[in-house]
Amino acid sequence: MTSYSNGGLFNPAYHDSETLEIDRRSSSKTPLHTNPYARGEGADGHYSTGQISSDDALRRVPRGGWQEESWRGRESLPMGHISTRPRSPSWQHDINHSTFQIPPDSQYDRSLSIRLPSTTSGNMTMRRRRISMRRMSMFPNGDPNHVAFTEDAIRNEMENEEQNLVKELVALSTRDRIWAIRDLPMSFDEKKHIRSQVLAFKSAKKSRQFTCFADCSENMSLSFRRCGYGIRSARQTLELWQGIMKEIGGTFGTSVLSYFMFLKWLLMFNIFSFLVNFGFITIPQLVYSPWPNISPNVSFRGLEILTGAGYFNNTVMYYGGYSNETKVHLVEYNMQLAYFFTIAVYMVLCGIALIFSMASSFKTNYVLADPASNSAWQLLCSWDFNITNDKAVRQRKNNLRVQLKESMSEKAQRERLSLSESLKHFGVYLGAWLLSTSLAVGSGASIYYLCQFEQQRATDSANWSLLQEAETLLVPFVVSLMNLVVPLFYSLFNKFEHYSSQRKQIYALVVRNVLLKMSILAVLCYNWMNVVAVKFSCWESMVGQALYRLVIVDFLFLMLGSFFGEFLSNVIGTRLLPRLGVPEFDVARNVLELIYAQTLAWIGIYFSPLLPAIQILKFFILFYLKKVSLTQNCQPPRRSGRAAQMQTIFIALLFFPFFVGAVSMVAFTAWSLTPSEHCGPFRGLNSTYNVVEVWMVHLKETSSSHWVVWIYQNVIRSEIFYFLISLIIIVIIYIFWQVTRGRKLRIRVLREQIVNEGKDKSFLLERLQNLQKSHPDKRSKQKNPKKHSKRRPDDHSSGGQSTSNAMIQALLARQQLEKEEEERLSTGGVPVPSDISSSSSALIQAMQARQRAEGQERNEHYSAGYYESPTNTSSAVTQAMQARQRAQVEGTYDASDPTSSVSSVMMQVMQARQRAEEEDRPQWVPAPPQNPAPAGSSALIQAMLARQQAQNEYDDGY
Amino acid sequence: MGTTASQLGKDMLSEYQELTFLTKQEILLAHKRFTELLTKDEKDLPNNRVPMERILTLPELKSNPFRKRICNVFSTSEYKDGGLTFEDFLDLLSAFSDSATLEIKSHYAFRIFDFDDDGTLDCGDLEKLVNCLTGETDDTRLTPEEMRQLINNILEESDIDKDGTVNLSEFQHVISRSPDFVSSFKIVL
Repeated sequence: MTSYSNGGLFNPAYHDSETLEIDRRSSSKTPLHTNPYARGEGADGHYSTGQISSDDALRRVPRGGWQEESWRGRESLPMGHISTRPRSPSWQHDINHSTFQIPPDSQYDRSLSIRLPSTTSGNMTMRRRRISMRRMSMFPNGDPNHVAFTEDAIRNEMENEEQNLVKELVALSTRDRIWAIRDLPMSFDEKKHIRSQVLAFKSAKKSRQFTCFADCSENMSLSFRRCGYGIRSARQTLELWQGIMKEIGGTFGTSVLSYFMFLKWLLMFNIFSFLVNFGFITIPQLVYSPWPNISPNVSFRGLEILTGAGYFNNTVMYYGGYSNETKVHLVEYNMQLAYFFTIAVYMVLCGIALIFSMASSFKTNYVLADPASNSAWQLLCSWDFNITNDKAVRQRKNNLRVQLKESMSEKAQRERLSLSESLKHFGVYLGAWLLSTSLAVGSGASIYYLCQFEQQRATDSANWSLLQEAETLLVPFVVSLMNLVVPLFYSLFNKFEHYSSQRKQIYALVVRNVLLKMSILAVLCYNWMNVVAVKFSCWESMVGQALYRLVIVDFLFLMLGSFFGEFLSNVIGTRLLPRLGVPEFDVARNVLELIYAQTLAWIGIYFSPLLPAIQILKFFILFYLKKVSLTQNCQPPRRSGRAAQMQTIFIALLFFPFFVGAVSMVAFTAWSLTPSEHCGPFRGLNSTYNVVEVWMVHLKETSSSHWVVWIYQNVIRSEIFYFLISLIIIVIIYIFWQVTRGRKLRIRVLREQIVNEGKDKSFLLERLQNLQKSHPDKRSKQKNPKKHSKRRPDDHSSGGQSTSNAMIQALLARQQLEKEEEERLSTGGVPVPSDISSSSSALIQAMQARQRAEGQERNEHYSAGYYESPTNTSSAVTQAMQARQRAQVEGTYDASDPTSSVSSVMMQVMQARQRAEEEDRPQWVPAPPQNPAPAGSSALIQAMLARQQAQNEYDDGY
Repeated sequence: MGTTASQLGKDMLSEYQELTFLTKQEILLAHKRFTELLTKDEKDLPNNRVPMERILTLPELKSNPFRKRICNVFSTSEYKDGGLTFEDFLDLLSAFSDSATLEIKSHYAFRIFDFDDDGTLDCGDLEKLVNCLTGETDDTRLTPEEMRQLINNILEESDIDKDGTVNLSEFQHVISRSPDFVSSFKIVL
């Protein structure tokens, strides 16, 4: 905390001072936080003076006269005046004028004009950081408008911000504009105002170039937009289970809700896959041969619903039920091609959808997330605004308190962990991992032997006895049992391990479960590929049946699981062992179950095209089941947080081992295995993929579409093509990798810069405090800037000036307060009357200028090693020069007449300045030789020059 | 639904759609819920402001620990009483909606957490924030020692320029790194 004591955390002066705001205002990247939330309540809202009655403002004059003045300045500005001011050369294009003159009728009243400058300045930064960054660079010196906060500067600022915003909005396309306006953090009225301005400007522009085409396109885009809104709202109406989702989110929070979202997402996947398969494979098959050729001695016995064998065997449920003919009815329909391409396209679409959702969720949830800090802020930001249930809110508060305490104690005890302890932990980890891996391998092996046993007993006949049929349920039963029981052991191991964070614990659990499921599925697939494929005549249907059984039995076990996992532990927790408490909903376990179920469906899609239908039914029932089980048995999770990241992990898991595994299994089947000879669409071919080759040959001979053949031969079948593609991709990846590294470096540099600027700040604070203490006697000496002014301005090269300037100003304002106090004392304690509040600001400016000269001097020493930023430097130098000159002038003035009332004279200075501005501009406008600053700041510099000149004039006269 | 649609008017509706993140259904629902809060004679007046007490009877806000702050932040009332007009109410729902951007959400979160409306989160704000989250009563509150440590931790974590307070950009930086924020900063009618 030593660094903070420097920074002023424990410095009461820093805290109490009104000037705190000023330095923040100019030091931060986004000026928004200076936003005078114009409806501030309480005495602290010294920003909101714009709306506070004038005598209230008066009361504050002695404290924060500087700011008061600036705000009052704004308040008294009629907008029309601003817009026609000839003062900002960079904004004199008639565009701006028209933008400002168009809405005379709009509600551009005073109150709005008070709020606008700050809000808009915030918007700009908020809206698109890129743009705001550019704009920042246009205002070097860290918003010089704050350096010289004169009325002119404020006006310019207001004008610029407002006009910039409107201009940029006008330049955007309609769609982007709507988004941009929507994204402004302002109240509805203000947004409406901005929009009306933009639209007015638009229409003004359009009337000039009125063409039919523009009109048409406008109408078109409008109708498109309407259409878009319509689709959006229609989609929302169709949204499934909205009420239930809200209810779950309201009582159990976002992390539990994410399970249900995932379930819904998978359901959508399956509905899509069902529609595709049903539409392109099953319907054609049914149209041409509506009745499956079931042998007459097979009857429906009821057990088929569980086993999927027997009666179902020759239906369109399985691969075997499809024919290999080219149907000629109304149009030619090649079943082989349809089957192949439907499955292939579905798999590709699934993969793309998964990759996209995975990538976007990685982007938002993982890369941006800070791995190191799982502490306070994470918890504070994790308040779930979804939760509406009173009891849940109370519980959540309790949990949060516990978590906050834990986070603090974790931090405290993280370091002390002796060698023996860490060895012990390591041993426990090792043991748990060994045990869980061997459990996974063991269950895989036992399933392998079980499969072999089953294959020996099974015969390749069409009609099994009831017992034989029931026996087929053995493997799925054991598999599902293992899936249910082994994870419970894993959770048990988890209790003995001491992970430093909850996240690691969950990851370990997830990885073990994934290993288990992968090993089981791998053994099953191996069995299907190598044993079943050889033994049975219509082996694809057999595999399909096996998958059907697995899906069904898995569903039964999911129901059992929620019975045992949630209902029983609820009973135990409430009746028998109250120590255990009501169970929480285990999101990780449940999501893994879903992933496993979905993998089965993916593998099965080739062997049993209608499996998604079963899956839809299963997920639909499961949703309600889980919902009831959740609301009846569970309590909200004790630990919040990381829901979004877990979601990402789950999607990634769904993609990587599971989807990729399923795809490779299907692809292996299609490319390498011989399809069964007597059934299915691919009978008689060497491999499924052969169907494409046959088709190509056919195309070559008959049809005229040679380009398809050409593509097939030169792209699909050529190694060169793949070689080139992979080469290009590798190069692109390498480039992006390098770009990422560069960005990381840049982030680090920027971060260091911020920290350094913070250090600057605290250093200057300290110095100025010292100055303050020794202030009254030293002033005259310090104020003498002559020796500095001899120095050439070129020497000043400091990029860090921007913040430090601002800092100095902040403190200056504080000193100003003191001076005002002094002054009041010297004038006999008479409070400063309200009329000369403007004079006080003039005084402040004078003071600031004087001390800025000093500040920059010091600053220059301090940040000598800083890297240069040319734009900053130039205008900083300009300002420094001017300030110094002004200081000089004022210094002489001080020396010559120390007794007269400073404030009234300064008021005269102000007036003189304004006079000077109005008359005789050409005399000095070309004068500034060192004015390389960009357009934005030129207005400011001019303002300053004007002041300087006026002072010079005054001095001469004096 | 049909009657409310005609009440709102097509132009108004499309304007609301354009300026907020809400869909038509959501706006209509919001309008319905809002008019339910109005008393009989208020319903005929064009631009009603519902006082904060009545807004807070909405079940979505009733038990939220930040309910008063939310009202104050979104209210455009001149008396700073937290009363909301329908447009303020839409603003509120828009900021808390699903499709609002992170920038908007973090901006309003910052303002909600900024209890004294001074544009930065200082120690006082953070203390109030923590108290809001853990409960206001004496037995649920953190001890002063814990509170001090917690605030130190918070500042250490987020106060990049070391000025003893968290300003908006620092806050947004923090928010952008806590991915749960977007999904949890959400109120659905």
